[in-house]
Amino acid sequence: MTPVAIRLTVNGRPESLVDVPSGERLLDTLRWRLSLKGTKEGCRTGGCGACTVLVDGRSTLSCLTLAREVEGSEITTIEGVGRDGTGARVQEAFRAAGAVQCGYCTPGFVMALTGLLKERARADGFDALLEDLGGNLCRCTGYAAIVRAAAALRPGTGAP
Amino acid sequence: MADFELVAPATPEEAIASLRTGPPGAVAVLGGGTDLLFDLEEGRSAPERVVSLRRLPWRTLEWNGNALTIGSTLPLRTLENDPLLRARIPGLHSAVRAVGSVALRQRATLGGNLGRSAPASDLVPMLLALDAEVLLLGPAGERRLTVDGFVQGSRRTALGPAELIRAVRIPEARPSAYHWQRVRPFHDISHMAVAVAFSPSARAWRVAVAGFPPRPLRVPEAEAALGSARPDADAVHRAAEEIARRAPIVADHRASEEYRRQLVRPLLERAVDATVRGGR
Repeated sequence: MTPVAIRLTVNGRPESLVDVPSGERLLDTLRWRLSLKGTKEGCRTGGCGACTVLVDGRSTLSCLTLAREVEGSEITTIEGVGRDGTGARVQEAFRAAGAVQCGYCTPGFVMALTGLLKERARADGFDALLEDLGGNLCRCTGYAAIVRAAAALRPGTGAP
Repeated sequence: MADFELVAPATPEEAIASLRTGPPGAVAVLGGGTDLLFDLEEGRSAPERVVSLRRLPWRTLEWNGNALTIGSTLPLRTLENDPLLRARIPGLHSAVRAVGSVALRQRATLGGNLGRSAPASDLVPMLLALDAEVLLLGPAGERRLTVDGFVQGSRRTALGPAELIRAVRIPEARPSAYHWQRVRPFHDISHMAVAVAFSPSARAWRVAVAGFPPRPLRVPEAEAALGSARPDADAVHRAAEEIARRAPIVADHRASEEYRRQLVRPLLERAVDATVRGGR
């Protein structure tokens, strides 16, 4: 029950957080303790992908992750993703494709794609690419441009 | 969300001890947390102590000839990315990919999926079709159950109060396939799902269906109806009829009974066809 202190590295910066309750989600740690509001809260049940961040390089739903469960990990949010070559490429692809409408889902999509590229998952073609992005929702339904940005980042997948 | 004590034991012995010393009925086990946190948020579960398995040495994947043993805390995404899985057990690869999204599978675990035992689990039907076993560890040591014996009902399992799932063992790689129907192709719950595998050693089919309460189940009459390694269209049709007759398919808020029944035949046809052609 006693809240404890934990250490995280967030966007390359070591952070020491005190009084972290057991049930605190990484999403709330990022937004409310560290004021990194780029990570969005959408459904809070894992269904929309808006809260996606990287934990040790892997895309992770920060709404379904307890902060204390990732103690000692390296967290990357949309605020820090451009520091990395892969993340910067994803951001540029989104800009070039005009893949942003209201922008609420954009951080989640950028983090999800950055995670996929870092993981070097098999390039299985366009269907698998869409499947891998299936956890991220765009309420503006601006998918065509997002898919173009994604296709440009994974050579050989071929845009529709 | 109500407050709780979060502990992360470093050894299996400590983990089992922390389950035993916890307040009765008020201890929850945390694998990846993707299902448990959902329940905590909605207030469906209010444990006093949560035992996290993250420090246990169970993030393992081991091929032993044709058999595969999967550690219970291995993230599903790591299982999915195993270079041999897709070629050797294509149905399990498809079933894993049917769970949530990539970002969810980076944390979700096979042990968690079994332990939470949701009626619409995408993994349980495939594990049934693969004759998988669950390796449990408790105060009295290890025991082994078939997945069929382990899963008892909707969110009910044979897991004892101080037991943990250590691993899942798949005795042999099988041509296999997993096909489902849902609203949103990914990150959704299957309205109806069919898992199919052909055992090369037993020269026999395995067929399991899922998507409706209380739990996924095998349909031996459908397996018998498929018969040979290359069943013809009539055999598949008869197998689908056996499923429609035997499986306790019901309506719920996701789909009507009739819709689910109509899904059986096309899903089974696709799954058998894919298995005969080598899988997926």
